[in-house]
Amino acid sequence: MEVVDVRPILAPFVSFLCAGLVFGFGRSIFWRRFFTFLAAFIKMALVLSMLPGTLQGVVYVYQFVEFTPGIGIGFRADAYGMFFSLVSSTLWVFTTIYAIGYMQGDRDRVRFFGFFALCVSTTVGVAFAENLLTFFLFYETLTICTYPLVVHAETREALRAGRIYLTYTLIGGGFALVGAVMTLNAAGTLTFAAPGILGLESGVGTLAVIFLCLIIGFGVKAAVMPLHGWLPIAMVAPTPVSALLHAVAVVKVGAFGVTRVIYNVFGVELLQQLGFATPLALLAGFTIVAASTIALTQDHLKRRLAYSTISQLSYIVLGAALLTPLAATAAVLHIANQAFAKITMFFVVGAITRTTGKKYVSEIDGIGARMPWSMAAFTIASLSFVGVPLTAGFITKWYLALGALEADAWWFVLVLIASSLLNAGYFFPILHRAYFRPAKEPWPPLEPGRHFETPKTLLIPIVICAAYVLLLGVTAEVPGMPGSVAQVAVESFFAPRGVGP
Amino acid sequence: MTGPWAEALPWVIVLPLVGAALTPAVAVRHPRVAGFWAWGVLLVTAVLASGLVAELLARGPFSYELGGWAASYGIELRFDHFSAWVLPLAVLFVVIVPFSWRYLDHVMPDERRPPFYALLLLNAGGMIGFCVTGDLFNLFVFTEVVSLSSYALVAVGGRGLAAFAALKYLFIGAVSSLLMLFATAQLFVLTGSLNMADVSLGLGEIGSGTAVMVAFAAFAVSFMVKAAMFPVHVWLPDAHAIAPSPVSAVLSGMVVKVGIVGMLRIYQIYFGAEVLELGAFNLALVWLGAVSIVMGAFFAIFQDDIKLMLAYSTISNIGYIVLGLGLASPYAVIGASVHVFNHALIKATLFLAAGSIIHQTGFRTLSDLRGIARTMPQTSAAMAIGAVSIVGLPPTAGFVCKWYIALGAFEANQAPFGFALVFGALFIFIYYIRMLNAFYFQKPVHDEVAQASETPWSMRGPVVLLASLCLILGVLGGIPLNFVEPAVLDLLPFWGQ
Amino acid sequence: MQPFGLDLDYVAVVVLFCVGLYMLVAKSNLLKKLLGLNVMETAVFAFIVTAGMVEGGDPPIMVAGTSAPFASPIPHAMVLTGIVVAVSVTAVALALIVQIHAHFGTIEIDELKELP
Repeated sequence: MEVVDVRPILAPFVSFLCAGLVFGFGRSIFWRRFFTFLAAFIKMALVLSMLPGTLQGVVYVYQFVEFTPGIGIGFRADAYGMFFSLVSSTLWVFTTIYAIGYMQGDRDRVRFFGFFALCVSTTVGVAFAENLLTFFLFYETLTICTYPLVVHAETREALRAGRIYLTYTLIGGGFALVGAVMTLNAAGTLTFAAPGILGLESGVGTLAVIFLCLIIGFGVKAAVMPLHGWLPIAMVAPTPVSALLHAVAVVKVGAFGVTRVIYNVFGVELLQQLGFATPLALLAGFTIVAASTIALTQDHLKRRLAYSTISQLSYIVLGAALLTPLAATAAVLHIANQAFAKITMFFVVGAITRTTGKKYVSEIDGIGARMPWSMAAFTIASLSFVGVPLTAGFITKWYLALGALEADAWWFVLVLIASSLLNAGYFFPILHRAYFRPAKEPWPPLEPGRHFETPKTLLIPIVICAAYVLLLGVTAEVPGMPGSVAQVAVESFFAPRGVGP
Repeated sequence: MTGPWAEALPWVIVLPLVGAALTPAVAVRHPRVAGFWAWGVLLVTAVLASGLVAELLARGPFSYELGGWAASYGIELRFDHFSAWVLPLAVLFVVIVPFSWRYLDHVMPDERRPPFYALLLLNAGGMIGFCVTGDLFNLFVFTEVVSLSSYALVAVGGRGLAAFAALKYLFIGAVSSLLMLFATAQLFVLTGSLNMADVSLGLGEIGSGTAVMVAFAAFAVSFMVKAAMFPVHVWLPDAHAIAPSPVSAVLSGMVVKVGIVGMLRIYQIYFGAEVLELGAFNLALVWLGAVSIVMGAFFAIFQDDIKLMLAYSTISNIGYIVLGLGLASPYAVIGASVHVFNHALIKATLFLAAGSIIHQTGFRTLSDLRGIARTMPQTSAAMAIGAVSIVGLPPTAGFVCKWYIALGAFEANQAPFGFALVFGALFIFIYYIRMLNAFYFQKPVHDEVAQASETPWSMRGPVVLLASLCLILGVLGGIPLNFVEPAVLDLLPFWGQ
Repeated sequence: MQPFGLDLDYVAVVVLFCVGLYMLVAKSNLLKKLLGLNVMETAVFAFIVTAGMVEGGDPPIMVAGTSAPFASPIPHAMVLTGIVVAVSVTAVALALIVQIHAHFGTIEIDELKELP
């Protein structure tokens, strides 16, 4: 049932305010950190406060401004939006801690943390968007706000990466805009609705164009091949940026968009009738395997992780495209599972670079001895991606496999098996090198006065996120945990028309 | 029944015009007083304008008969929804004039200030008169007032090159004014009246015919020239780039829109009478608009001089408005009408920010202005916001109009133009990215840039205010849209094919 | 009023307009261009006066001895206003030409285009 509540709009707006305060008072280290944390915490607190209601099926709405009936800026915290914002707000807190530690002594930190906070706000705006217009508004704003973070280093490489990033995302944005406009024209409304808002009466041709435009538009950020080109190049950004934006915020917003299109614009029934989802599923399957294969060849640690991200994102797309409840559960859950695991890995890689200056796989022999906790976390995350039971990744693969069988698409199970093998293929050598090979040269010793292998601000997020990976792996069915929110979301997607929030 | 504000209608024209005449007298001892005098006059005018708009919202369109002569015999002033453009116009002037107080220090000696501000007031008064008159010949006269003051304003700051650009502008503008005079006379001959409403009725009785079409064509071409549509846009780039920045803001933001408002007025006259088959004309508008969009963006990309780039960008944006008008579907026309205002706001932001930078450093080209963002952060931020706005990205003012026009394109089953519109704007982002990269991420090459300081508050205030408005109207974009909707819907039953 | 009753006059107007247009476009000297503009303006005025002509019309003044049909005063008012406008435009244009001459030393378009 729907309840009018101011919290869905408060969450992004308060964060915006804090971002403004970071820009205004950022010269002082104390205030900069204070407002950055404030933005993250307030967001998390607001989202958590709505969680009990969401678990009972309550949807919080708030209409902000209406241009004409049907087109306006509105906010709606439904189960799926809540899930996404829970994941992102939790991770934001940790990434903030990590970023503060990582960026010590770096330049332009006011600009960095200011835009960081802005990205927080826009992501939660995307999560709580009630209609395609609001979604698009925050989606594009996210693009703009991430640009200064990508080019932070201001080197030629960074600027080039920024240009490529903008080219991909803005062109994608253009497609998304066209798709949104056509949707409004065809459906008369832009408000997301559980069983979809488009219908066959618009004509298969028009619907095909809309689908193509929207999928291309959001697929750029979701790094579906062949639109993935920007992601590996954007790895030139500082690691906190890579971790959050390219493992959690930007790419997840794209995947979130794709799933919203499938479930809340087109709807399961319509897509089943049209058959558009099948090519998408095939494309996702191809991406999963191809990206993993490319990952095998990458020696640069962050690039290897980048291709792994591309591969993992298509799990979500595949899950959504299979159009069955179990697959949908996998898709939704994987937003969380992949996020935590991938962010752990990025954190570890960043810590390695900060501590030892090494960036390549071939250089990290024997690092397990120098940084045991970090590598332990990395191991857990790797196991998650391979799909070992007790880790989050296993839950995803299980549901996805069941969903594929449910959809009579058993060949996707083969894709999953192949993907697991490939994941093992590019993660286990890293572990092998780290633990079982002697170091090529002595590691830098611990700095005097430090007890841990790497600064606390870097280590604590690593450990906590790795713990989360395990937690998600064992508590998928436990009420009150994210898994149950996902269940509520999936229920709404598959409710028959006219029923449900 | 009309409220007291209806009586104020002539004052909103008279005040700036009389103010213009008095400026040299007021400033005879201290030339700089002219600037404050002009600001005061425009402020009062803006207050009057807001009263008029309030009256419009409360009781609908109203008129005023000049000199007490009944409408068909005398000149009638009429305030309807399209006249409401007067209010944002006056407000924009009120924001831009303070910027000019310090900006003109490096452009002209103090003795030239009184004539400059007199011309500015004339310009404002002429545009206001243009929007509120209900008489065709009066329309012509005000068009000339605006045009003449514009020609002079282009040349006022500079030497030979400015005069040359102004002369080019003058020749093309004068020919277009002649066409307008011809069309006005033609309509008078046909219908026996100069009052717009009467002419509309008269046309209804005459029906269509060659003479009627010729008059329409003459009006259309005349306003096309004023609005700098392709292919008669050639006067704009040099004129707007050479003029002092406050003047560029006024020219690009408002004077150019005179052509658009004029076109809307002509539509009103002709559509009441339903005498036109507009299919071919609309198609021509759509294509010319599309070409303007692409061509303007294309040329803008290759410019090194910031102001020249902004001038070409104006041509591109006028293309959007014309495209919207040509599509003739409700959303498109509403979007186009609101873009008249939004573009004025964005262009004013950009020109004033650019002017600030030129004022502080003395340089005008991208290659010279590298790294300016370090020393002029607020102005550069305003420039960045303006850039994002003019490309049409959310959450800025430019996005809302683009959205509506695109919607209109699809509504009118002209999907290819919808695509062209969306991607055309992204095209121009290439230039802005170069600009933002140069400002923010490159090292300064000149000492003046490295040691520049931010502008004084009389210059910075307007820039920051305008940039904030760009953002605010991006979110609250519904307000102008809802305002224009009734007027457009009134117009539209007669529009289409 | 009788629009297009007097064909020859309108032909003359069109010819005059074209002559003026030719001068504006084809001549290289700025003053000659300005003259061309003035000729065009005169053509439009001639059109207005011609179109507003009333056969056998009396001056529009109510004194004994005058009777309908009266010549309409409006076209004449339009032309007078138009002349004023034309004079203003010419004045501004001349001022600009003087400026150009003072700065560049020439008022020939061909030579002005050569300059950097």
